[in-house]
Amino acid sequence: MRLDILKTIYVKEMLDQLRDRRALISMVVVPLLLMPLMMVGMVRVFSMIEKKAKDEAKSLGIAMKVSSPAIREAVEKAGLKIIDKADLKAAVEKKEIAAAIEETSGVNGIPEIVFYVDRSNPTSDSAGDTLRALLTEMKDGQVKARLRARNIPETILTPFTVKRVNIAPERKMAGAVWGTMLGYLLLFLMVTGGMYPAIDMTAGEKERKTLEMYLSSPAHRSEIVLGKILATMTAIFLTAMLTLVSIVFSIRNSGMAGKNPQMEQILKTIPLDGHAILIIILTLLPLSVVAAAVMIAISILARSYKEGQTYLTPLLFAVIVPALLGGLPGLEFTPLMALIPIFNASQVIRSTLLGDLSTTNFLITMCSNLVYAAVAFYFASRRFEDETVLFRT
Amino acid sequence: MTAAIQVDQIKKAFADKKHGSRMAVDGISFEVFPGEIFGLLGPNGAGKTTALRVLATLLKPTGGTATLNGFDIVTQASEVRGSIGFLSGDMGLYGRLTPRELLRFFGDLNRLPNAAARVDDIMERFAITSFANSKIDKFSTGMKQKVAIARAMLCDPPILILDEPTSGLDVPASRAIEDAILDARQRGKCIVFSTHVMEEAEYLCDRIAVINDGKIRIIGTMDELRAATGKQRLREVFVDLLGLSGGGR
Repeated sequence: MRLDILKTIYVKEMLDQLRDRRALISMVVVPLLLMPLMMVGMVRVFSMIEKKAKDEAKSLGIAMKVSSPAIREAVEKAGLKIIDKADLKAAVEKKEIAAAIEETSGVNGIPEIVFYVDRSNPTSDSAGDTLRALLTEMKDGQVKARLRARNIPETILTPFTVKRVNIAPERKMAGAVWGTMLGYLLLFLMVTGGMYPAIDMTAGEKERKTLEMYLSSPAHRSEIVLGKILATMTAIFLTAMLTLVSIVFSIRNSGMAGKNPQMEQILKTIPLDGHAILIIILTLLPLSVVAAAVMIAISILARSYKEGQTYLTPLLFAVIVPALLGGLPGLEFTPLMALIPIFNASQVIRSTLLGDLSTTNFLITMCSNLVYAAVAFYFASRRFEDETVLFRT
Repeated sequence: MTAAIQVDQIKKAFADKKHGSRMAVDGISFEVFPGEIFGLLGPNGAGKTTALRVLATLLKPTGGTATLNGFDIVTQASEVRGSIGFLSGDMGLYGRLTPRELLRFFGDLNRLPNAAARVDDIMERFAITSFANSKIDKFSTGMKQKVAIARAMLCDPPILILDEPTSGLDVPASRAIEDAILDARQRGKCIVFSTHVMEEAEYLCDRIAVINDGKIRIIGTMDELRAATGKQRLREVFVDLLGLSGGGR
């Protein structure tokens, strides 16, 4: 392996990729622009839908068949219009009204208030939520009033209170939340980020008829393969890191936590210190060699860019499942599990963020992934020696 | 004089789903000397491209031996590739690079000393300098062909292997390639090239081998071919050797 030749190949591959509009879009534009737009946009759209549903519920109004004037009064006070309808269920179903309330005789002489909503319809669902809150408040108020009338203290309803104390520090809580999604996102993006360059540098070269000239140069096949793998790795890291930064920024600023202050705090606390970042990079390094080598080895089998995409798509599923499983809480990370590629990296990332990574599991993960990387590199190099693959027509 | 290319009973078989194996090149032998243009002439599918790919070490031979510039094509493949300039009709240029970047890339792969100066020289020689920093994607076919031939000759290799280098080119572009080939011969280079354009072969080649079904049917100078077949023009020799005279023009 000659380092000057390797450098020449790597620089050329990177230059070629950075000049390609499609590669730039997938490596830079999508992570930096599309991701934040999607996440912020989604939150905005959901809040718009919620607001629209509330407004529509008020303008459509509700129908009711109740004897209690207090209920009618409370509904009107909540800003909901009251409309008369003979068949309550049918009116909700036909979206003539947002929801309906009916008083029935109930059991043991206790009247029952039934409200009809169409939960598949956000407007009706929203009206239902308002009605439930309103009726619950009314019921509680009446209970308290009756107790007061009989000179019974309200505390009789509360023989004891329940309080949950979370002993997990804020960082650990944040680690539990981030650990579930970060590993999966990083591993998934590693594959999607490297996919386009890998196809372009193999099947794309075949399609553009440049591979023959490349192979007729004095560069060794192993140097060409390694140069292409390094370029794919760079694309993988670039995409993953840009997307990571972009997602972290978007989540922190999108208002995803809603009105939950605890969740807001967790989302704002990203447990990524220098040590955690180093462990994550070390973990991803051999894995990115595996991913790049496997993608290069598979896509060189294709005759065209389109065919390359078809061959590599199943690889996405092979990554998604173990990456998702590795991020799931409750799974114990054992040394045996540290031998499973992708899954082991996802678990290491999760454990790192939780702050309970075992050295043994980390070392097993690193060693096994290094072995997989060597095997994948050997496999990719062999593909480049196989003339039936290189000159397949 | 020592031959720059020595080919001895080279064979190349490909796996074939229907027949198990198909012999694309079937025991061809020839020699090419420095300062000589050797043409491989044959119809489509005759085995020309396969033979040249074997010589360029892109394909491994199934049998036989060959040396280029004294290096064995199987055991010293990297040295062989360092001794040749290879060009095909497809040109194989990286469209997103500029001619300067492309030439520098191939110069560095060949560990060419003073690569930057050599790139400037070759661009000047092939009149590329005026568009040296524009992306190749935007070039006309003629401009691309200039860059392709400059790439093949960049390292001043002793041997040029040209696979249908004028395929799909108009007359002026073809002429530029032909001039470059003649100039290379003048400078003592050994050139082997394939074509199915009779006039081109007749105009350029010192010796010609007619190849069909992977076998060389005849080999020699134009005069030797005329004497062997009794035909005057290469087209007639070709038609006669391939048994196409029945209903052809």
